[in-house]
Amino acid sequence: MKPVIDNDSAPFWDRLKKRQLLIQRCPATGKYQWYPRGHSIYAPGVSPEWVEAKGTGTLFSYTVIHVGNTKRPPYNCAMVRLDEGVIMLSSLRDVDPTDMYVGLPLRVCFEPLDDEIDLPVFRPA
Amino acid sequence: MSGISNKAAIVGLHESPLRKAPGVHPFRIMMDSVNAALGDAGLTVDDVDGLCVASGDWAEGGAVESVTEFADYAGITPTWFNGTDVGGCSYIVHAGHAAAAIATGMADVVVITYAACPRWWPLDTPSFDPFVLPAGPGQFELPYDPTLISTYALMAQRHISEYGTKSEQLAEIAVTFRRHADHNPQAKMHGPLTIDDVLSSPMVASPLHKFDCCLVTDGGGAIVMTSAERARDLRRKPVYLTGFGSAVRRTQISQIPEDLSTPARVSGKRAFDMAGLGHADIDVAQLYDAFTITPLLALEDLGFCRRGEGGDFVSDGNLGIGGALPCNTDGGGLSSNHPGKRGLFALIEGARQLRSEGPGVQVENAETALVHGLGGTFCASATAILTV
Repeated sequence: MKPVIDNDSAPFWDRLKKRQLLIQRCPATGKYQWYPRGHSIYAPGVSPEWVEAKGTGTLFSYTVIHVGNTKRPPYNCAMVRLDEGVIMLSSLRDVDPTDMYVGLPLRVCFEPLDDEIDLPVFRPA
Repeated sequence: MSGISNKAAIVGLHESPLRKAPGVHPFRIMMDSVNAALGDAGLTVDDVDGLCVASGDWAEGGAVESVTEFADYAGITPTWFNGTDVGGCSYIVHAGHAAAAIATGMADVVVITYAACPRWWPLDTPSFDPFVLPAGPGQFELPYDPTLISTYALMAQRHISEYGTKSEQLAEIAVTFRRHADHNPQAKMHGPLTIDDVLSSPMVASPLHKFDCCLVTDGGGAIVMTSAERARDLRRKPVYLTGFGSAVRRTQISQIPEDLSTPARVSGKRAFDMAGLGHADIDVAQLYDAFTITPLLALEDLGFCRRGEGGDFVSDGNLGIGGALPCNTDGGGLSSNHPGKRGLFALIEGARQLRSEGPGVQVENAETALVHGLGGTFCASATAILTV
């Protein structure tokens, strides 16, 4: 399903095309936040800054979907804990379901969702 | 908030016996249920001045709920109304809000009703998580095509990996509730279910199998609430709303805390605090069982066991009759009735247990029931403690 990009999220989607995964950091507290917002969830009235994530993390949880929506199953959804400490929903590539485990080290990679949108996905590091 | 404790009571209830209703519009089931629940209370629709319908959820289970459209259909002019829709627990939320309205004199007789007919509903309903659109916060998750079930599956897999919970323990929940349903003539599912049956049923979203998932039924029901004073003059034994708590927290699955805690931690504590009761006081519980992982997490978040101990709590037989916390005594959403939002049926069954009218298994002399539901994928929760 194609994302509806808005003014606050445009930098995230733009930089994916340059193979960069942006997340946000609160300049007042130094804490990272996911998902992107127009405000810091840690400091009232503070605007978050964009930073490039290292792109590494570990598998927090995963599921192989056998009854799906728009994609043809089976496919997987994964919660990935980035090394910056935030958890994002994504999907795994190049790993057999039997080799998935919580804690699996991962690295981000990028794949086209369509002609306009690139999507961050993860493969074993 | 404790000002509403025991100020209002459930005085009438009805769960439609329908589980499959081809060609029946949900409003028909709601109206029949409203009239039946009012009749149960010894009231009529002319007494109703408050109406709760979870408005706005057109996506889940063929529901067409609208507080205004249903008032029109019913031919009533409620002066207090509540269309709060936070998913399946909405009706438990309504009970708390109705008690507040009754306690403050804003309403006298409140009807809470729900129906949906997903088995035949002919209009398109999106099958993605109805709480997420691919815009705003959802734009970062929907491109990966998560299903509603997959978000529960992610919670279940994490619980299994982090705490050693076994798929057999999740299956035990479905097996126990089927045993209860087997005594309930109106339950959709009868006959024995074994752990092997659950584990050998098709995988829907790993680690959740088909029999880890709730049913899809057509159905509906209604509840009538009024003040404690008026309740004492009506036909049935009043079931008092003694404790209530609710909380909303998050929608995106990525926002789940690392310890998997859900808003039930907040709603449960508030309900116990208001009631002035402890866990040992609860005779019977109705825990929303959308999937087997759902009541397991609720048991932990509500404090019946510690985080990570839900699997052992379940496999020790605590959820059956004779156990420490008989649960989902009608068969629950896994084996009795689940048109999409089970909260109302959990509330109805909680009250039925306290009236010794459980259609499935009945906890003898039950005086205190806990009713707990969640909405969406652990986005919202509501907990009610009922007493007689």
